[in-house]
Amino acid sequence: MSAPPPPVLEVRDLRYGDRVAGVSFKVGVGETLVLLGRSGSGKTTTLKLINRLLEPTGGEVLVAGARAAGLDPTRLRRRIGYVIQEVGLFPHFTVAENVGLVPRLERWAPDRIAARVRELLALVGLDPDVYGHRHPHELSGGQRQRVGVARALAADPPVLLLDEPFGALDPITRVELQREFQALEGRLGKARVFVTHDVREGLLLGTRLGLLDAGRLVFLGTPDEFRRSALPEVRKFMEAA
Amino acid sequence: MTLFDFYARNSRELLLLLGQHLYLVALSTGVALAIGLPVGVLLTRRPAWRGPVLGLANVFQTVPSLALFGLLIPLFGIGAWTAITALVVYALLPIVRNTYTGIAGVDPAVREAGRGMGMTDGELLRLVELPLAARVILAGVRVATVVSVGIATIAAAVGAGGLGVYIFRGVATVNDTLILAGAVPAALLALAADGLLGLAERKLVWRP
Amino acid sequence: MAAVTGARLLAVTALLTACGERDRIVVGAKNFTESDLLAELVAQQIERRAGLRVERRLHLGGTFVCHAAIVAGQIDVYVEYTGTAFTAVLKHPPVADRDSVYRAVAAEYAARYGLVWGRPLGFNNTFAIVVRRADAERYGLRRVADLARVAPRWRAGFGYEFLERADGFAGLARVYGLRFAAPPTAMDLGLTYRALADGKVDVIAGNSTDGTIEALDLVALEDDRRYFPPYEAAPVVRRAVVERHPAVRAALDELAGRISDAEMRRLNALADVTHRDIAEIAREWLAAHLP
Repeated sequence: MSAPPPPVLEVRDLRYGDRVAGVSFKVGVGETLVLLGRSGSGKTTTLKLINRLLEPTGGEVLVAGARAAGLDPTRLRRRIGYVIQEVGLFPHFTVAENVGLVPRLERWAPDRIAARVRELLALVGLDPDVYGHRHPHELSGGQRQRVGVARALAADPPVLLLDEPFGALDPITRVELQREFQALEGRLGKARVFVTHDVREGLLLGTRLGLLDAGRLVFLGTPDEFRRSALPEVRKFMEAA
Repeated sequence: MTLFDFYARNSRELLLLLGQHLYLVALSTGVALAIGLPVGVLLTRRPAWRGPVLGLANVFQTVPSLALFGLLIPLFGIGAWTAITALVVYALLPIVRNTYTGIAGVDPAVREAGRGMGMTDGELLRLVELPLAARVILAGVRVATVVSVGIATIAAAVGAGGLGVYIFRGVATVNDTLILAGAVPAALLALAADGLLGLAERKLVWRP
Repeated sequence: MAAVTGARLLAVTALLTACGERDRIVVGAKNFTESDLLAELVAQQIERRAGLRVERRLHLGGTFVCHAAIVAGQIDVYVEYTGTAFTAVLKHPPVADRDSVYRAVAAEYAARYGLVWGRPLGFNNTFAIVVRRADAERYGLRRVADLARVAPRWRAGFGYEFLERADGFAGLARVYGLRFAAPPTAMDLGLTYRALADGKVDVIAGNSTDGTIEALDLVALEDDRRYFPPYEAAPVVRRAVVERHPAVRAALDELAGRISDAEMRRLNALADVTHRDIAEIAREWLAAHLP
């Protein structure tokens, strides 16, 4: 077994009032940590503590070795891709403009932005010539989330946070996107934290799983370990699967 | 004499008064926008201020226009500045309120995605919130402008000129032609402003 | 039973109201202080001497509004000025002789409108072309003709009536050759003194009996070319009222010749400068002069 890759993202004893009560984990390059838990278990909160949409009341977040608390939040967030369930595409921007947002904020040259947009749209399975100039309301739910992922990847951030990204999609589209995401994982080389309450999705997509219960990480391990675990909270989840 | 005869004989004066009227309305609406837009944005950042600020603007709205002119004369003297100040005060409420509503009505997911991707508050405002709120804000400007055209007719009482001059002259001399000479263009001006801004609303700004 | 009582009540009320109608006099006034004051004097005088109920409609509007109102019977009395009636209402070119003007308006008002002119109250309130004292001294302005020198650099401000009247601005400018830099600023008459004092305009047309001229350190220029006709103040009454209530005529005649220019100015100052209540000023004056 090879040595674990150096952690791109490290979270130490992270706290947020009593919603997140001391969570610690590390995520390396190419790894996907799935945060699993019931509603209200603190998984979305934990995610938002990482990119400082919420400010931790205790503990630390380190991104590529640097303390997140010491960075300007805006600079931090531009180095972290963020995908949410509602997608949140800007309705008045075209697909291309949506994807190219962070590069534009970072003042990349226009041709570099255009090339990157094409590359990413192709990556998520949308023909840039067909979809590039369309507006979000012209797309299906699945297509919109593909754009959402492309947008999050645009500035090539080392860390990707995904908050139940496929939760609002119909089951067929959801499976489609899960498979494509899984295929992408190897190619992307990023550290991903993926929040979901769907245990099957978690087992499929995670290199490791973390189970949150009332703000505490009660399990952290591989999918196999999860399946074999005797912890009552884990068993409850497995039964529901 | 008919209205048309009157205009034919006094075309220069009509144009002068029309110009004065437009000046009063345009300048006051511009100033109200310059003040009201930032205030509206501020209210979305500080929700606690919303009650008092909107409440205050509301109170201004209820002061009868002639009374407000009268109250401002000691401060700004007789002439255009009193009128412009009063017109700004009346234009503030629709503009502030619509700016607030327009921005507050932006989809929270869009705002969260924007922040999460690392947009500064200024970038969010400039690239997302204002463009998405533009239609509602423009509707507020439209209301403010139409109201201003009407109230500006009273400006003539304090020596600020405008189409109200004809109206006051007509009232003083019981001359219906004169009264209409002022009232009709004022009404048409209000309609035109409403129409033009409505067109701008439809054509220029993003619609869902 | 109730229906019969109701009907009787209605009949009695109608009768009383009708009586009240006939015994009630409505006194009107133009929209400036002096007119309100004179209306109040007339009203109280009618109340105490003729014993009739009087309703006041003060600050009604300008000359033309009051004229239209009395012709329509909406008011019964108001104080008018002979020159105003002569030039603005009857639209004659101005004449300088006091008595011919009075006789002319009395005759024509009776013939055309069924209105009776009472006897003049004793003062002449002509238009006063007013400037700031500092300007009068700096530019040596004593007569209206002197204005022609400074007019091209000056702003004029007038009330709406003066701008519209035949004996108003247009005629004045023509007779005195006044050419101002821009058309005069029009505003509510009451604001013109303030505009002058604040420097927003340089010349206005006030009334020669205004109380504010001295108070604001202003100067009235002499009408050396006799452009303005005489403006003697006198009450104008509907003939029907005079015929039904001769006591009203007697009451009004008692006021004839009692108020000089200086006296009117004093009363105006009490109202405009000292800000005393108009009804009180009228009551005091009547108690003092016609006990």
